[in-house]
Amino acid sequence: MTLLQVRDLSVRYEPKRQASLTAVDRVSLDIHDGEFVGLIGESGSGKSTLAMALLRLLERPGRISGGSITFDGHDITTASQDDLRVRRWRDIATVFQSSMNSLNPVMRVEAQFRDAIEEHSDLRGDAVRDRVRELFEMVMIDPKFMSAYPHELSGGMKQRVNLALALANRPRFVLLDEPTTGLDVVVQRSILDAVRRLQKELGFAVLFISHDIGTVMELSDRILVMYAGRLAEEQPASGLVADPLHPYSKGLLGSYGNPRAETVRVTYIPGRPPDLSRPLQGCRFAPRCPEAIERCTTVEPEFAPLGEGSVACHVARLQREPGPERVTGLPEPTRVFAGPEFVKTSEESDLARQAPVFLKVDGVSKVYERRRGLRVQRTQAVSGVGFELRRGEVTALVGQSGSGKTTLARMITGVDRPTSGSIRFTASDGQDIAVHGLRGRRLRDYRRHVQMVFQDPYSSLNPALPLRYALSRPLRNHRGLGAKEADSMAAELLETVALTPSSRFLDRYPHELSGGQRQRVVIARALAADPELIVADEPISSLDVSIRAEILELLQQLVRDHDLGVLYITHDLLSARLLADEIIVLNGGRVVEHGPALEVIRNPADDYTRTLLEAIPQPFERVG
Amino acid sequence: MRYFARRIGFFLATLWAAITLNFVIPRMQPGDPAEVMVQKLAGKDAQLNPAAVEAMRAMLGAPEGSLLEQYVAYLKALARGDFGLSYTYYPYPVTEVIGQAVPWTLVLVGVTQVLAFVIGVTLGAYAAWRRNTRFDGIVTLGSTFVGTLPSFWIALLLLFGFGYVLGWFPTAGGYSTATPGWNAGFIADAAYHSILPAVSLLITAPIGWVLGMRNTMVMNLGEDYIRLARAKGLPDGVVALRYAARNALLPSVTGFAIALGGVLGGSILVETIFDYPGMGRLMGEAIGNRDFPLLQTLLLFIIVGVLVANLIADMLYGVLDPRARKAES
Amino acid sequence: MSAGVAQSGTVDLPLGNVEEQFSASDTRWYRLVWSSTKARVGIIMLLGFILVAVFAPLIAPYEGTRTDFAPLLPPSGEHLLGTTTQGGDIFSQLVYGARVSLLVGLFGGIAATAIALVIGMISGYKEGSLTDDILSFVTNVALVVPVLPLMIVLVAYSEVRGVPLIVFVIGITSWAGHARAKRAQIITLRNRDFVTAAKFAGEGSGRIIFREIMPSMTSLVAAGFVGAATGAIGAEAGLSFLGLGDPNTVSWGTMLYQADAQGAVAQGLWLWVLVPGLVLALLITCLTFINFGVDLLSNPHLRED
Repeated sequence: MTLLQVRDLSVRYEPKRQASLTAVDRVSLDIHDGEFVGLIGESGSGKSTLAMALLRLLERPGRISGGSITFDGHDITTASQDDLRVRRWRDIATVFQSSMNSLNPVMRVEAQFRDAIEEHSDLRGDAVRDRVRELFEMVMIDPKFMSAYPHELSGGMKQRVNLALALANRPRFVLLDEPTTGLDVVVQRSILDAVRRLQKELGFAVLFISHDIGTVMELSDRILVMYAGRLAEEQPASGLVADPLHPYSKGLLGSYGNPRAETVRVTYIPGRPPDLSRPLQGCRFAPRCPEAIERCTTVEPEFAPLGEGSVACHVARLQREPGPERVTGLPEPTRVFAGPEFVKTSEESDLARQAPVFLKVDGVSKVYERRRGLRVQRTQAVSGVGFELRRGEVTALVGQSGSGKTTLARMITGVDRPTSGSIRFTASDGQDIAVHGLRGRRLRDYRRHVQMVFQDPYSSLNPALPLRYALSRPLRNHRGLGAKEADSMAAELLETVALTPSSRFLDRYPHELSGGQRQRVVIARALAADPELIVADEPISSLDVSIRAEILELLQQLVRDHDLGVLYITHDLLSARLLADEIIVLNGGRVVEHGPALEVIRNPADDYTRTLLEAIPQPFERVG
Repeated sequence: MRYFARRIGFFLATLWAAITLNFVIPRMQPGDPAEVMVQKLAGKDAQLNPAAVEAMRAMLGAPEGSLLEQYVAYLKALARGDFGLSYTYYPYPVTEVIGQAVPWTLVLVGVTQVLAFVIGVTLGAYAAWRRNTRFDGIVTLGSTFVGTLPSFWIALLLLFGFGYVLGWFPTAGGYSTATPGWNAGFIADAAYHSILPAVSLLITAPIGWVLGMRNTMVMNLGEDYIRLARAKGLPDGVVALRYAARNALLPSVTGFAIALGGVLGGSILVETIFDYPGMGRLMGEAIGNRDFPLLQTLLLFIIVGVLVANLIADMLYGVLDPRARKAES
Repeated sequence: MSAGVAQSGTVDLPLGNVEEQFSASDTRWYRLVWSSTKARVGIIMLLGFILVAVFAPLIAPYEGTRTDFAPLLPPSGEHLLGTTTQGGDIFSQLVYGARVSLLVGLFGGIAATAIALVIGMISGYKEGSLTDDILSFVTNVALVVPVLPLMIVLVAYSEVRGVPLIVFVIGITSWAGHARAKRAQIITLRNRDFVTAAKFAGEGSGRIIFREIMPSMTSLVAAGFVGAATGAIGAEAGLSFLGLGDPNTVSWGTMLYQADAQGAVAQGLWLWVLVPGLVLALLITCLTFINFGVDLLSNPHLRED
């Protein structure tokens, strides 16, 4: 029985002062009772807009501009909010993104269950409390938290509460929109396990929306791939892994690799998604597609059945169902993404680990003290950490939030001072610098040797100043260049990070660039001082998965060309394996694992490392 | 609980600051403050009676001893309840004079403030709920314009229009013929006299609440928990009140005491116009007569009044917002 | 009169929203302000007032302070709004009064904003330190103390009366709400990565404050200034009405003071009572309208979408 039937649904955003765009363009899909359907999409795909449209929660300036949504045989596309209210939470429930505060901050948790339960069922009073207790047990939270306020719960617990809340009235359909993004891998795993278990037990249909292809593939029966507002592909999960149809899907799958292999290969998709406010011609993915033929740029492909699924791609169709006419330049069918690739061999790592040591961290601890009125609160962020960094080597510092990795980064770059222990840096001119005691002028000079790349490309560039300014400052301060020389050097730097022609970028403001482009600018700025060590704090975490490897490749190239050392900080072991020669794992402020990258991945000594390894999405191994 | 203790601590600290301020202001001029005052008064009033000098001395004390000693003497006097003598109403002590006026202002301002809060917050919430509709447009535009009207000007117009021209309301005083006391006749008469002053204040008072509440609520309506509340299929009324307004109310509560200060300021002007026997009119008199002891003590009392209101509002906030009790404020 | 105060201390400041689809059209601030119809009306009205004030000698038929006309003349060709009980020409007084209000608004606003900026910035930049604790406490006290009564006492004690005194008193009493808002925003900005990045680029504190942080503060400072100017104008009117104004100049507040003192209401001289208050209200209204437009800059949620 088809529970949810969507036909040619389109959603437009029409803001008053900006260009309008069609965020969702003629999307059709079916979800059957009890089916687990995954929807994969990256930034600009329109997946969250689609979710809001399905729930009929779109707000101005968005509106449904075409198509239909039928739930349980009833057309709800234009139904009034009053009519919809009956279905809400009784038939259709949802769990929003974990980063949102979906819970009313001034109401106790139990009360927030109560109003939803009382609205849609006949339960009252104690019956409601018993039901809530039952729900809490389902998601494995101690019922004592029923009387808590939302701010007293951790992020993971809040999401579990949201999940329990969604199931309160035994809905037939649950929509989960990025439910675990931003949570620690361990917490993510437990929530996803709960979702899978409960779905099997209670038998509700699921639409699971995420940008993380690994988890989607692990849980879903059927998968939809969305790109630039349109559906690109739809297939049973096993089919998608075995034989992806659309080049974009191949690109998504190609962003994952097996970290245990001797040589790891990971692909990335060059370019960025199209600007939907401009008129589009032909296939939306064509500009970035390695398999595109001429037709792709002029004719938009229809989303139509092919084999076990459906796809919107001329090339895929022609390869499998060749028509009567011969098409020139049709590429050979391939399961792998035929685009640029990032390769890391183990020989390079071996060489790098023989270079001379230039930064030595010895027995470093950091205790944070915060004055709260008259009392002092102590937090031990780092305890007794020691390691060495070598010239031209990439070392990964891996840990979850709260592990102390950011604190260490701050101490190595001189932003903070260790409470005990020492950090010593040997500059290329032989100077021996005691980093832990630097201040003022000497600290500024130190920055000529050690620079930082930050995590969030949106906030690490001043939104009010053009790129030219951001790049020229370190050139003028650290390299003493005059205004004109700094300008031409800035242009050169942009070329180094492949933002060409540089003249097009120098006068732009940060908000005019994409996330990947901004991150390149941030790297260029770090290079401006001509440093010997770059500390990169989660530089790719906020980028879409399919474009991450591009930045990794850039970093690797810089390491090769400039003999740079890199301290790469991340929570993701896969990218650590890709970029780093050596891996250090931090947990609770202590080093729990330390060794050559491949060694650590293949033979982890510590349980925590093993847990992190398990958390890496393995789309190829895990389809069930 | 930590939060409430902090609030009380702040109250005491600010109280101390206000008292000290009161001590400092008259002494900001060089020389013996009492002498200086007397000189000033002498300049204005040729036949200076010794009463004035006495009043000054009583208030300011002799300038013997260091500043610190004078400060201690001042604090002791305050603790005794001795605020000096009023020059205008010599030889009555200032506290008695003010004591007469306090109930009038308390009632006028208290009622006006509470009414303004209720009306303003309700209008603002409703306007936010219906944002960008005509109702919202009218409310926002109207309250912006009305809120800029000086309350004393409105008072003058009302006095003129309803008092003199139409003769519907009395034009001066707190009461006319009835004898003061707790009898129905007096209370009715007093109420009758307070209508015009109250309306003058009430017209301009809710405005801050309307706009503040509306803007806060517009922001709140974009919050995620509102979205979830809607997704839960809760009726509009519940979402508006228990989810949106309840949260949007919080900043307005914090601003309650500050707004009270504004209304008190407005009442000074309005009471003067209507010759209403409250603290405001007293202040006007004190200014005109250069009755510094009275003036200063009035200021102190007003500040204390606002501080107490602030304390109550802060305590209320602690009850309304569970996050405040938990976190550091 | 205190309409702005309740808000400015509780403004919820915008944090950097990491939006997926970042709009490429980040409109320049002046265009955004102009786009609001209310702001547009306000700006035009304000220009009108400024013109009247600047060209007062040309517009008003007589000197504002002249009181040698026949008293209580009805409106006529020579005295457009009639004369007062003391023989002053109401229309001329009105025109010249604009100067006082605008001057007080401008300088009072500047004074209050400058103090708020300094205290707010120091307090915010040194967040968590003892300096911040002390400055925050002072700010909170200044916020709670009712402004008009305090101003009254300060002016009453002063020897000299006049517009500079009023500007001074306004400056030192009305800065608190704005200071708190600026402090909050500095704290937000200071923790942004681009400030740390500027340090890495070798920039000194001075350059960081002025070239990196300040540009993001302008909308808040502008909104604060307009609010402070509005408050200043209202405060001057109130003080003058109580007789604490400058006896030698004529402002709209002093006009109302005289009207009340001379029993204009009882005598039915409604024109004298109506007009100064009306223009006062109009001036304050147009400033508040402008503030609507400025508010759009710092609070994206309010932009009509």
